[in-house]
Amino acid sequence: MEKSRDIFLSNLEANKGIIYKVVNSYTSHEEDRKDLVQEIIFQLWRSFSSYDDQYRLTTWIYRIALNVSISFFRKESRKREYSHPLTEAVLENIPEENNVLNSDNLKLLQMFISELKELDRALLILYLDDKSHREMAEILGLSETNVATKISRIKERLKQRFTKHETLEGSR
Amino acid sequence: MEEQDIKNIWKSYDARLQEANDQNQRAWTLNLRIFEEMQSGKAESALGKLKVMKRGGIIFGAIYLIFLGFILAFAIRHYSSEWNYFIVSMGAIFIINVIGLSDYVRHLVMLSKINYSGSVTKVQQKLTSLQMSILRHSRVMSLQIPFWTTFYLTDKWFPQTVGWGYIIFQILMTGSFVYITYWLYTRQTMENMEKSKLIQKLIAGSGGKSVMKAMEFYREIEEFKAS
Repeated sequence: MEKSRDIFLSNLEANKGIIYKVVNSYTSHEEDRKDLVQEIIFQLWRSFSSYDDQYRLTTWIYRIALNVSISFFRKESRKREYSHPLTEAVLENIPEENNVLNSDNLKLLQMFISELKELDRALLILYLDDKSHREMAEILGLSETNVATKISRIKERLKQRFTKHETLEGSR
Repeated sequence: MEEQDIKNIWKSYDARLQEANDQNQRAWTLNLRIFEEMQSGKAESALGKLKVMKRGGIIFGAIYLIFLGFILAFAIRHYSSEWNYFIVSMGAIFIINVIGLSDYVRHLVMLSKINYSGSVTKVQQKLTSLQMSILRHSRVMSLQIPFWTTFYLTDKWFPQTVGWGYIIFQILMTGSFVYITYWLYTRQTMENMEKSKLIQKLIAGSGGKSVMKAMEFYREIEEFKAS
């Protein structure tokens, strides 16, 4: 038990970045973020004993983090009945020293993510995290062909959004 | 902007997020403390709250069924033809409530079987199906309505000692409740939930809004899997 707890904690420590990224992509509220991180850790621990090592550890963590976040997001958005822009609150957590251009682009990217539907959002997070089509398919429960089609559509929309933004910035 | 540039923005965000969270070690330590509490069973998960609600429903339902069962058993034990209407009506109400309670037990079993480590589309479809099952529960429970208009009748005074006026009133009342039940049972479907404002309003009190949202999401998942 003690050993399993230590293994769990070291895996959790090594992959906490995944949890934070997923959480920040699904909620902008400080309190909700705390609750969501707690719920993800709870579900990870609950499933840890039945972890199937035919999947990579990160696949398992992404599955749980995304499933918990989507369910949480749906419950919270039902409560509030309106959506919140994620950008400002998410960036509150980030140190200020980075340059303005980078921050602007990051805001734009965050805004784009927050406008997507829950499942597309999950897909984009995985794509931006350089997951292979196979791993994305395993996490989401889709075929690899389906993942490829969807990714190319989202990429196109993402590029268009950035190009439009650059054009607007250039004309100023 | 190229694909790699966008990925680089995300990577820089990842690094900054990591840095910010490392600076804010307090929050992470707190999470680990909560983890310790989870191990000792003090913390409760969000799904746990739903389970508590379902368990509460089961306890309440079981007490109600024991009460119904007790009076039904009493009537059967002291049987005379006077009890016919009561036994048939109460028996039907009892069976319908047993089905209702078994729905709650089934939901609780389904909830405890939900494992978040399954694929996202599969787990989300399971969760939304669970929300949509309220509709089936509501349909089944509506079947008991007409029996509440007949349980008090006895062949000691009905129909022989009452006038035609009362007989017509009783037939009209029970008939209209049968019609309402038929209407509710056939109309409370997924399709009608979207089309009929009246059905939406009727079911709104018993979680209809969340059923609607669940249906929307279920459809979204289907589309997501198909396209």
